[in-house]
Amino acid sequence: MTGIRAWGIDVGSSTTKIVGVEAGGTMCLHLLEDSEPRAEEQIVRMLQRAAAASGDQRVRPLVATGYGRKLVQQADRVVTEITCHARGAYRALGHGGTLVDVGGQDSKVIKLGPQGEVLDFAMNDKCAAGTGRFLENTCRRLGVDLERLGEVALAARDEATLSSTCTVFAESEIVSLLAHGVGVEPILKGLHRALVQRLVAMIHTVGLTPPLMLSGGVARNPAVARLLEAETGETVVVPPHPQLLGAFGAALVALESVGERPGKP
Amino acid sequence: MKALGDLRDYAVARVVGPAALRVQRWGNQWRAWRGSGWESAYLAPPLGVAVRGKEMVARHWLAGRYANRDRKVAWITSAAPVELLHALGFFIVYPENHGAICGAARVAVDLSCEAENAGYSRDLCSYARTDLGSLFSGRTPVGRLPMPDLLFACTNICQTVLFWYRVLAHQLRVPLVLIDTPFVYFETAPEHAVAYVQRQIETSVPVLEKIAGRSLGMAKLKETGTLSREAAHLWMEIMQRNAHQPAPISVVDQFTLMAPVVEMRGEPATVDFYAAMLREVDGRIAEGVGAVKDERHRLLWDNLPIWYRLKDVAEMLGAGGAALVASTYTNAWGELADLIDPEEPFESMARTYLYPILNRGTGHKLKTMRRMIDQYSLDGVLLHSDRSCKPYSIGQLDQRDRLARETGVPALLLEADHNDSRCYSEAQVANRVAAFIETLER
Amino acid sequence: MQPDVNVAPLPSIPRRRDLARAHHERGGLVAAVLPIHYPRALLRAFGILPMEVWGPPNVDAARAASRLQPYVCSIVRNALSFLESGGLQIADLLIVPHACDSLQGLGSVLLDFVHPAQPVLPLYLPRNPAPEGTAFLADEFRALHQRLAEVTQRTPSESELMQAILDEEVADDLLRRVHEQRPTLPLTTFDFYHLVRAREFLPLDSFVSLARAILAMPAVKSPPKIPIVLSGIVPEPMDMLRAVDELGASVIADDLACCGRRLYPAGRSRDPFMRLAESLLGGSPDSTRGSPIQDRLDHLLGLAHSTGSRGVVFHDVKFCEPELFDLPVLRRGLRDAGLPSITVEVDLNDAVSHQARTRLEAFLEMIA
Repeated sequence: MTGIRAWGIDVGSSTTKIVGVEAGGTMCLHLLEDSEPRAEEQIVRMLQRAAAASGDQRVRPLVATGYGRKLVQQADRVVTEITCHARGAYRALGHGGTLVDVGGQDSKVIKLGPQGEVLDFAMNDKCAAGTGRFLENTCRRLGVDLERLGEVALAARDEATLSSTCTVFAESEIVSLLAHGVGVEPILKGLHRALVQRLVAMIHTVGLTPPLMLSGGVARNPAVARLLEAETGETVVVPPHPQLLGAFGAALVALESVGERPGKP
Repeated sequence: MKALGDLRDYAVARVVGPAALRVQRWGNQWRAWRGSGWESAYLAPPLGVAVRGKEMVARHWLAGRYANRDRKVAWITSAAPVELLHALGFFIVYPENHGAICGAARVAVDLSCEAENAGYSRDLCSYARTDLGSLFSGRTPVGRLPMPDLLFACTNICQTVLFWYRVLAHQLRVPLVLIDTPFVYFETAPEHAVAYVQRQIETSVPVLEKIAGRSLGMAKLKETGTLSREAAHLWMEIMQRNAHQPAPISVVDQFTLMAPVVEMRGEPATVDFYAAMLREVDGRIAEGVGAVKDERHRLLWDNLPIWYRLKDVAEMLGAGGAALVASTYTNAWGELADLIDPEEPFESMARTYLYPILNRGTGHKLKTMRRMIDQYSLDGVLLHSDRSCKPYSIGQLDQRDRLARETGVPALLLEADHNDSRCYSEAQVANRVAAFIETLER
Repeated sequence: MQPDVNVAPLPSIPRRRDLARAHHERGGLVAAVLPIHYPRALLRAFGILPMEVWGPPNVDAARAASRLQPYVCSIVRNALSFLESGGLQIADLLIVPHACDSLQGLGSVLLDFVHPAQPVLPLYLPRNPAPEGTAFLADEFRALHQRLAEVTQRTPSESELMQAILDEEVADDLLRRVHEQRPTLPLTTFDFYHLVRAREFLPLDSFVSLARAILAMPAVKSPPKIPIVLSGIVPEPMDMLRAVDELGASVIADDLACCGRRLYPAGRSRDPFMRLAESLLGGSPDSTRGSPIQDRLDHLLGLAHSTGSRGVVFHDVKFCEPELFDLPVLRRGLRDAGLPSITVEVDLNDAVSHQARTRLEAFLEMIA
């Protein structure tokens, strides 16, 4: 594989991703690993993996994004997740709208213009309640496998109401619900609802312009998408490889930096 | 067609609605008389006059639905010099009371979300968020809020109302009359502060008259002042009856029964209402009936109520034999009664409205609480640390320590919020209250 | 990232502690002054050196936790923590102006419970505009004058007071000119604030020389890359300003309560107290003075248009009610006028968080 023209790396708080794109901006290689504490070592190792898999020994031009973007010394440029997600979503889906990205560390809502430009954005970065970690932590407490989380929640017939959207309070509320004999499924559904309501609040702060797009690792959880649809009345579109959108966007920025324009989806 | 609509509204507001509310009251009174419908093992049923109070409030909001048709409407802060507006014939709406109603009806969080979605931070006062949310969405549990012709804000409860009313003024393009009351740091307010408030009240009159479309009659103002003072006096007397053991009227009931003295002071019906309440309270004392059936502990409540958990808190405490006997909050609507002098309306208004407890220092509140502990023979204090009310809450940590150290009365800080149930942790509060009552038992 | 600035060495700013010591040696008193508005000239007339306390950032905030709830902003919490950890020992008196419910509460807690070694002098800021508000504020200054006379055991004559006012008006005018000239000043955003904020503690003469030195700096030819307006209370933590510089942007005008909203015009009256009051209430619109939101919006738009700014950064301290209430209307108004804006919420004790930086960075990418 030597057709790779540009690279993107997204050093997230939960996972680190590398994407390579060929001319026209088509994704042709991707790597994903759980993020490790020694990020710099991991970055070197993953870049070596990318070089080996692609035959491109330089892995350049490279644009870094994500929580640990500043740690990527090999990068030609560093760009925020907002810009990268916008770029990635527009290339993947070919339209503007409202992109909701739920990451491990934060969540964000980006309003995209018809040409994919960022018009406005909101970030939830102080509170864990609207993030993937919120679900991850609580599912661990409830003994449910992360992969099955959404399924289990959707299967619930009843729904427990969680009055707190604060992670700390929610956790004590869950303990007290369990103590009162409420089942795991209704609690899970209530939890998803709380998360989604938090997201909807953010969506409203930038204004909802359909279509609604969902990315980040959480996009693989069907309950989040379904509840988001129920709460907003809009159809939710999930791009292919929702978890890689940031790294993909970074690669597209890298591609532009060498004077190439990404094509259409 | 418009005439027909007017006629229909008139009929609903003046005839059908009040009649329906009266029938509802009879039903409630009948049930209260039979003693049915009340299931608490720990609490005495509410006072009989409560149904009348409920009807008064309901009538007020019913009239409010159609007030825009034939009256000038003012939105005003809870401790503003309302006498002026009464005398000028305004229909008066208290956004804070409306917020409390939304809180008690447990729709405040929904409405707050509307405001939050519009960009208002969750760190802002939950009354303001609730009301702004109601304004943006048009949703309210009272049917319909009449839109204001005038906004009237007095900073003697907080600066928050000023910022809040600035938003309303901008949003609704309605004039805002501000009565700015300098905070009283020391024992008495300096004379130049009194003069400043008096000048503002005086210069507001022509503005108010212009909006009202009539001039202020001094006789009417005096009459309103007199009625206002009488209502506040009666309210104070009712609260003071709680010096009796067991206390006849719980603070939790006071929270709802205070609505008329807050929003209808200056009206004859309000005076009658509190006169009737005083009679009933005296009847309870004669029969030895207490608000908590087995009163073993007598507590003080500081700060606003937790509107969405009123009954739960009362039950939780009642189960431990604890009665809420006095509160700085309900007391605030009675303690200034003597300052109102109908003969000197402007100067006395200036003084009255400078001295609410919220416009005075943290040491003054400590003093007030110490006095109440003696007056009502209290053995514990609950301080609601209200995330939404900084002027009321700042100082509580020192107040708690000083109360415990100097009076030996234990005090408990409860972290919550008066309207936002998302800041309330059920399990935590229950645990803390239970542990507190255990301390009192020892 | 801005190669054409800072070629000349910056004027050096003496340390607060040294200034206080020198002032004490000359027999003067030092006042620690809390935010926001207060009559500098009145203090100077008594030979008092005012030193403002905006936070300060990065103190052990836990000290305040025993007296203030966690929902009180970090400006107020830090001020109390700083006091309780002995940070204000150099001050002979504390002035606590009334800017909001939290500062009101702090003033009251200081007077009633903390009882610091120094006298605590509160000062109420009227929210009603002229003429009642101005007359009240003049009276409030007369009362403060009396208290200062008690504390210092001296009474400046009326002409001494008037002279102090006129001198301060010169400094105010220089400060205003420094702000107006900033698009061509050879200063990074960080350095600009480092210098102008010295107004918060420098003696009058030192500030006047500093301002003159700034105004004499050679002008920069190339316009700043991404000019932005900064709005909020105080530009702390200052690292935020470094981030602005590093990201290639430049704050070219501000609507900060501690800076741009305190460019006081001179008063008009001959009565010194009235003159002081007119000046203090004559600054640009300010939420803490209860200004109508429309006035604030017009002012912001004016700032942005006159400087060609591309966007507005609202840099707000968490829990700051006066600012947070105005925010949605301001942001909507700016958006309608085609001016993007962003909110960055800060706590004085948090180093600029990765998230806040990302937010700012993304905003600059958006408007670049």
